[in-house]
Amino acid sequence: MFDVNELILKKAKELGFGDVVVLSHEMNRRQVRFANNEITVAKNWHERKVELFVELEKRIAGTTITELSEENIERTLKTLLSNMKGMAPKEDYYGIAEGPFEYRDIPETFDKAIVELDEPNEYVERAINAALEEGAKRVAGVLYTDHDRIYLTTSNGVEAFDEGTGIEISVRAFIGDLESGHGTNSVRVLKKFDPESAGRKAGEIASLARNPEQGPEGKFDVIFDPLAFANLLSYMSFMTSAYAAEAGFSFLVNKLGQKVANEIVTIKDVGNMPNGYGTRKFDDEGVPTRETAIIENGTFRTFLLNTSLARKYKTETTANAGLIMPHAWNIVLEPGDYSREELFSEVKRGIYITNVWYTRFQNYVTGDFSTIPRDGIFLVENGELRPIRNIRVSDNLQNILESIAALTKESHHVHWWEVDTPVSTPYVLVKDVGITRATK
Amino acid sequence: MHELVEFAVEKALELGASYAEARFEEKNGTSLTMKNGSPEGLEVLAEKGMGIRVLVDGGMGFASTNVLTKESVAEAVKRAVKLAKAASRVRNEPIRFSEENFHRISYKVKMKKDFRDVSPEEKLELLRKIEEEVKATGVNVPMRFIRYYDQVWHKIIANSDGAFIESVIPRISTTYNLVVFENGQMEQAPFVQRAFSGGLELIEKDEPWKWAVKDVQALKKLIYEGKKPPEGKVDLVISPEVAGIAVHESVGHPYEADRILGREAAQAGESFVKPEMLGERIGSEVVTVIDDPTIPNSWGFYLYDDEGVKARPRYLIRNGIITEFLTNREYAAKLGQRSNAAARAINYNREPIVRMANTYLAPGDHSFEELIEDIKLGVYMVSFNEWNIDDRRYQQRYIGREAYLIENGEIKHPVRRPILEITTRALWSSVDAVGKDVEFYPGTCGKGEPGQGVPVWMGGAHARLRDIPLRRP
Repeated sequence: MFDVNELILKKAKELGFGDVVVLSHEMNRRQVRFANNEITVAKNWHERKVELFVELEKRIAGTTITELSEENIERTLKTLLSNMKGMAPKEDYYGIAEGPFEYRDIPETFDKAIVELDEPNEYVERAINAALEEGAKRVAGVLYTDHDRIYLTTSNGVEAFDEGTGIEISVRAFIGDLESGHGTNSVRVLKKFDPESAGRKAGEIASLARNPEQGPEGKFDVIFDPLAFANLLSYMSFMTSAYAAEAGFSFLVNKLGQKVANEIVTIKDVGNMPNGYGTRKFDDEGVPTRETAIIENGTFRTFLLNTSLARKYKTETTANAGLIMPHAWNIVLEPGDYSREELFSEVKRGIYITNVWYTRFQNYVTGDFSTIPRDGIFLVENGELRPIRNIRVSDNLQNILESIAALTKESHHVHWWEVDTPVSTPYVLVKDVGITRATK
Repeated sequence: MHELVEFAVEKALELGASYAEARFEEKNGTSLTMKNGSPEGLEVLAEKGMGIRVLVDGGMGFASTNVLTKESVAEAVKRAVKLAKAASRVRNEPIRFSEENFHRISYKVKMKKDFRDVSPEEKLELLRKIEEEVKATGVNVPMRFIRYYDQVWHKIIANSDGAFIESVIPRISTTYNLVVFENGQMEQAPFVQRAFSGGLELIEKDEPWKWAVKDVQALKKLIYEGKKPPEGKVDLVISPEVAGIAVHESVGHPYEADRILGREAAQAGESFVKPEMLGERIGSEVVTVIDDPTIPNSWGFYLYDDEGVKARPRYLIRNGIITEFLTNREYAAKLGQRSNAAARAINYNREPIVRMANTYLAPGDHSFEELIEDIKLGVYMVSFNEWNIDDRRYQQRYIGREAYLIENGEIKHPVRRPILEITTRALWSSVDAVGKDVEFYPGTCGKGEPGQGVPVWMGGAHARLRDIPLRRP
């Protein structure tokens, strides 16, 4: 699609636009949804679209073009131009990156076998069967395959191409109304895909969760399964964007250089992670993606930035454009040195939470939030697990990070409906987490 | 476009589908953002495409395309049919749709002031007005994120059972996040939205700046005068806004038939409600909850759903009794009912699934004064920030943003973050009186995989809950 990009860039420059970014996508996506051990719907999306960003004397605008005829391209650009002429400038706009750049191939981000995969239903059946073998009665979930091509052209000399694939599954297994478990698996190359592991984990947790009792409330040491902690880190990833901080959606406001987590905590964004579900070769302005330490040994090092925000704060871009809003690619909580058994044996009386959802903030700037465990929840007492139900985590995000006491060596890459930004995280032990429940 | 939609349906039948539905959608609009007084840029929305859904041998397939040629649509139809066939082999029983009466009809929501004729600069003035009015209060609001959004949503839906529905619905909205910092303390009103189906005149009449001013003044007052809320068993009066989120989360969602029967089990969850609970008591006599897509100018407005079924008000709870679930054709058939037109899709590239529209607690016979006059000790919760509910929609929590102490029948000082954490049955059984006046608040309802955030209104009348275990942070 570089010919389309070139045409758009040429016409935009003729009309007098300054910075121009043309990001084209060719997307082929398949989905199989299943519930009650059967497929409920199978879907296919095949789309071409161009995301366009233009600047005119510090006025900025964006749109998506899906009809790629020359007439429509011209019409769209003229519409943007006439709309922008009367607008007030964005005084804190400082431009896009100067290209060209060199790009390296990132291992395990493209696999022809996924492109050529005719029929993914067998993977669904394998996941369902694995969950049933573990004792589940009902299994539900979703499988996706992805094949994306992106073409980037900018007015600052960038011409870049990336092609990626992916396959992922999310499986939820049920025994009765109150006993369920969840497992996921998200990879970029077919040979690493393990739908059985997702189904098996879902089934195992559901089986362990039989006959749960009403859970307690108070302060507890909590072991967060990677699936559960990934949810919190995915929410946190939004708060690491400089844009979110300016807009009042981040507990990290005014905390650069300060301690915001326990010393054992290092959180990175890794845009060029092999086999990472969010991995890309370059950001939306063409800067090669990289690894950025956001929190290093407990200290908050940087917000995620694009070129304009970096120049505003007199620093360098972190290669996280989003032209308006920088965002993370793959969040990584560095693993620790505990085995899973050692981590559980650290807890004399605590709670193991396998999954959470509905994380909502009372106040984004203070970081006060609550989130609801779903699927198996367990009281951990001297190495024994006892299923419980109906509790809520009610705490503060910074407090959670500061109270992390131990991390396992074992880490998992998580991406699903509730974890929009992919997260790699170990099992995490957090001390004195607030637990509440309904008393009526 | 009408021909292409009909072509898709015919083509699917030709290829062996027992049911076919094609939905063309086109959205045109603008959005503008202002962050801390600086315009963040203009976004022009121009999107169109077609989604095709088919049943073949009892399996369901869906495909979409944004290349609107006969060839491309035919290719999408082929893919949908192929997928449905393959899916049918991993099914225990074939999917069937309920019998319905279908119409050929066209409708549109009129705009008195057509936002398509208004320049972005003039729309930006609306945001500037919010900025200026907030500043004029003298309250220190260091972070201000404000957004304007409009779109005209054009749909053409045809199915092989005879429906042909064309609609044009304009939607308009403003949203803000305001952070108040006073006296070394910080309070926040995040993602407050005002939203309608119709023209610019609705936003102008609604005056979102007045809501913003009210919010920052209430937060300032909370900082200077706010005290701890009472703990333990008290009476609680919830505003239409709080009643709205409560009916949405704990009545609307668990009454979605696809959730009740497990289709949404993987992501948006299950329900404590079972099919045999129709007719069972879930709340007190004074609790009636209605979901009505047909409310003029509402954010969740439609007259025909995305399966072509005519919409009507749905009485989910009538006088405390569970009376109706929200259904589409697939789940109406499973329950042996007729669809009540709750099938909605957010875009051409999404399947229609069971959704709410405008859900509200129906009015009762109490004035606001009557609701509070005999309360010895209680709290009036006006607005909320944090909220959530479990997978089965039974254990929920709402935290007050603006809230006041009620003492001996009078509204007193503000209270900080009173927490209502309660089960669904206890919540609706505790209501002993409902106010006369209904108000609505907009929201985006999340469900589906991939996610489909659909516009909804939530609201109702004030309600009084007796003997509620209220908590503090």
